[in-house]
Amino acid sequence: MRIFHNLNVNWMGMRKTFYILSIALFLVGMLNVAFRGLVFGIDFKGGSEIVLQFEKPVEVAKIRNDLANIGLGAVEVRTFGAETGILVRTELQEIPKEIYPKVVDRIRENINKILPEVPYKIVDSTMNSVTIEFDNPDTTNLMIAELFAQGFQTGKISEELDNKQMIVRVGIADWIKEVLREKVKDNPFQVVKEDRVGPKIGEELKRDAVLAVLLSLVVILIYLGFRFKFVFAVGAVIALFHDVLITVGLYALLYGLIPGLNLEIDLPVVAAFLTLVGYSINDTVIVFDRIRENMKIHKTMPLEELINRSINQTMSRTIITGLTTLLAVFVLFLLGGDVLRAFSFTLLFGIIIGTYSSIFVASALVVDYAQRTKKKVQFS
Amino acid sequence: MKEYRFRIIIILAAIALSIYLLYPTFLDYQNNKHIQSVVEQKKQEILKQNPKISKSELEELLTIVEDSVKQSDPSYIENRLKRLKLGLDLQGGMRVVLEVNTAKLLEKLANNPDQVFNSLLAEAQKEAETSDESVVEILARKLQQKGIRLSRYFGNIRMDDAEIIDQLKKDSEDAVTRAMEIIRNRVDQYGVSEPSIQRQGSRRIIVELPGIAKEEEAKQLLQGTALLEFRLVKDPEFTYQIMERIDKALAKVLAAGNDSLLAELSDTTKKSDTTAAADTTQKQLTEEEFKQQHPFFSVALLDPQGRSADAFVKEDDRNKILRWLSLPEIKKEIPDNVEFVFSAKPISTTQDGKKVYFMYLVNKQPELTGGVVTNAVATLDPNTSAPIVNMEMNSEGAVEWARITGANIGKRIAIMLDGKVFSAPVVRGKIPGGRSQIEGMENLDEAKLLEIVLKAGALPAPVDVIEERVVGPSLGEDSVQGGLNSALFGYLAVAIFMIIYYRQSGSIAAGVLILTILFILSVLAGFKATLTLPGIAGIVLTIGMAVDANVLIFERIREELATGKTLKASIDSGFSKALSAIIDSNITTFFTGIILYQFGTGPVQGFALTLMIGIASTLFSALVISRLIFDYLASKGAKISIG
Repeated sequence: MRIFHNLNVNWMGMRKTFYILSIALFLVGMLNVAFRGLVFGIDFKGGSEIVLQFEKPVEVAKIRNDLANIGLGAVEVRTFGAETGILVRTELQEIPKEIYPKVVDRIRENINKILPEVPYKIVDSTMNSVTIEFDNPDTTNLMIAELFAQGFQTGKISEELDNKQMIVRVGIADWIKEVLREKVKDNPFQVVKEDRVGPKIGEELKRDAVLAVLLSLVVILIYLGFRFKFVFAVGAVIALFHDVLITVGLYALLYGLIPGLNLEIDLPVVAAFLTLVGYSINDTVIVFDRIRENMKIHKTMPLEELINRSINQTMSRTIITGLTTLLAVFVLFLLGGDVLRAFSFTLLFGIIIGTYSSIFVASALVVDYAQRTKKKVQFS
Repeated sequence: MKEYRFRIIIILAAIALSIYLLYPTFLDYQNNKHIQSVVEQKKQEILKQNPKISKSELEELLTIVEDSVKQSDPSYIENRLKRLKLGLDLQGGMRVVLEVNTAKLLEKLANNPDQVFNSLLAEAQKEAETSDESVVEILARKLQQKGIRLSRYFGNIRMDDAEIIDQLKKDSEDAVTRAMEIIRNRVDQYGVSEPSIQRQGSRRIIVELPGIAKEEEAKQLLQGTALLEFRLVKDPEFTYQIMERIDKALAKVLAAGNDSLLAELSDTTKKSDTTAAADTTQKQLTEEEFKQQHPFFSVALLDPQGRSADAFVKEDDRNKILRWLSLPEIKKEIPDNVEFVFSAKPISTTQDGKKVYFMYLVNKQPELTGGVVTNAVATLDPNTSAPIVNMEMNSEGAVEWARITGANIGKRIAIMLDGKVFSAPVVRGKIPGGRSQIEGMENLDEAKLLEIVLKAGALPAPVDVIEERVVGPSLGEDSVQGGLNSALFGYLAVAIFMIIYYRQSGSIAAGVLILTILFILSVLAGFKATLTLPGIAGIVLTIGMAVDANVLIFERIREELATGKTLKASIDSGFSKALSAIIDSNITTFFTGIILYQFGTGPVQGFALTLMIGIASTLFSALVISRLIFDYLASKGAKISIG
């Protein structure tokens, strides 16, 4: 079987049309980025996220309602995986000041339930924990065990035998779990996943991600400059910018539009972007390699014709490899689970745009450059 | 045939090496299945015998069973260490990034802090959250702006600001070291398998605890202060007597064998021994007898010359001893005010690589606790140039210390952190004034460790959790299943496509692809790398992209055939002409992999690694293995259809 045998298409002749298409895609994407914005996951934004697995199916709307007025502001609630999974997310790192007393009251209530009228005093309270002192070490140990069994995160302040102080963690996730335990009594749950990322780490990760993408582009520019001509390297790198920026635009455009597909930018997505860069450059290099080879053979052939010929010759390889990679990534998209969905979606789109750009951006730019400068591009 | 010999040898060697590297993973999988079935069986038995058993009790019993099965055969552990490791996102577990809270540390270090200092410190802390400057630098700047010298709060009056800043920076780095040591010590105690505790930069610690079931308990391990204690070590005669009594009582309990669990334990030990020394039957018998008559002394080995009663215990035997000691029959042989404890670090290793620990008998009640230590410095003795640690105490502690040392000359005092012995020096004489010198360390590293331990009691390192990720085991299992399915169906889809499109050549490519995957997995196992979910994604992606090299070659061969060349010539020029495209394109992708590895963390690094290994194995498979198959078939005159 063979497709595109003896293909003879004047690709470069169409390049103006595709320039317009590329610019249009780019503008649509950037307008969406400007007005709708990009949504970052907690990897970059910082915040808390928990995934709970209930025993019976739950209604997202109900959970959303339950969590609406607990003082955490906007809490995002959605399903995770099957209909028994719930993901709860907030940008907050720690319990807000206003509801802090409520959380402490809840602890007091529970202490009184376990041992009514036991004397205790709160000796320290920070944004993340409350330290409570009891009269004797035995009461402290009892409280630590009992409150722990009820889902509070309790601990001794020190391992000394006469320790009388108990520390109770009051993080966001703890508070959410506490509230849900109270409100969804008939449907117990387990914590499947719990993430908390500090804002400083988020900033660092963001900086690292941007640096990684830029650095890889520079490295590619240098390598291709050596292996081919500088103009080829520039064409290839512009094509890569084109791919990455249009995909970013797609993220802004499609966010929230496709149910079940959560297009947030988190760490795996950045990995997908770099892979996209890798795939796209792979494709471009193979076209360029053929151009280089043809240039050595047909020294007098006009550049446009030569590039057309090279693209036509490599077209069946371009399509076949694109197809097999798409197949594998599509399987990943279907079966890889929630965690990898955005990742494989990025690659699906990236393979298509990467293939497109190696012809209509990278090669086309080489033609335009040569025509502008009237210089002959040649390999010896 | 001769011309192919070299290549065949290389390929077979590569395949053999891969299988060798992956074999432990396979065995470990089998072992796990076996252990699971034994535990399940035991669970049913226990439930039958005692249907009202509480959940936590049942879990505890089952852990014991699991441990004893694991320990019964040393190859279990060996295989486990060599297997292909799964990342936290696949097997579940916890990853925590801790950062030393410099502001809190400065507050503790400051002499006579006043209102001005506290408010400036608060400001500095706030500023540091959004700046690259450290709290120390910001605070120093703020103090200087106000015209206050740093020596007003830190160090002594003779030091200038720059010196103090250096000192404070060093102090905050020390705090990280201390926190790491405390965490390592606790994690060891908790019994997490394969924990990873790494330092990142100057202030951060990354702790990874795979397979933690009770994550909330584990979180407690990481915070709170460490307990430093000084406890009296019992003298050898007394310790020996107690051990002898335990030994007798234990022999009786084991002989009676009414406890099914203990029977199981002695069972498994027997089994492992018969396999270990089946050839020396005569000696074996006496060892067996010794084991029956002196079960305690067979695991807690004493110095044959009887100079000390510090028993040598192998790492696997520590839990066994602790279980024995908790039996009511044994408990009543031990006085209430003493207990057995182990050394924190191994003192040596046996020939088969097992770590050996000391076991001490110490008083339960500490003589002193760590709050009294004000400073500790590891250094070399100026006279003997032996490593020593100088320890200072506050006035309150010094008085007590003088009394304790005076009353216990010639005895030993164990320095313990969180219940483990770090050192047990002998008291030479009464120490007034609280300044003590501790000797007897092997090298300066050991002395440094003791310094850290002593300071951990004096100056706990305040750490904050700045990132925390917990993956439950069920999500991990789902991810593994999803990943495996994707890899399988991804492979099938690509293979079917290739066979339809390229016929025989396609089936060669599809077959070679299996080897590529084998290579990727074995290299991961060989490098002791971790397979993460994005790592599996990397493999699936490689499956799709790996055929690229083949496609390039096949398309070239088709072109060459079209010019009328023979099959053999077409194969030759097909491979050689496709080479530059294959190399250039793969090298650029490899570069992005390296960058991804440099910048990424955890799972993303796993992805980058599989991608890079994938590229390397793809090149080998396409350029060496496929080539050989083509050359061989062509030389035989076979016709290879290429679609």
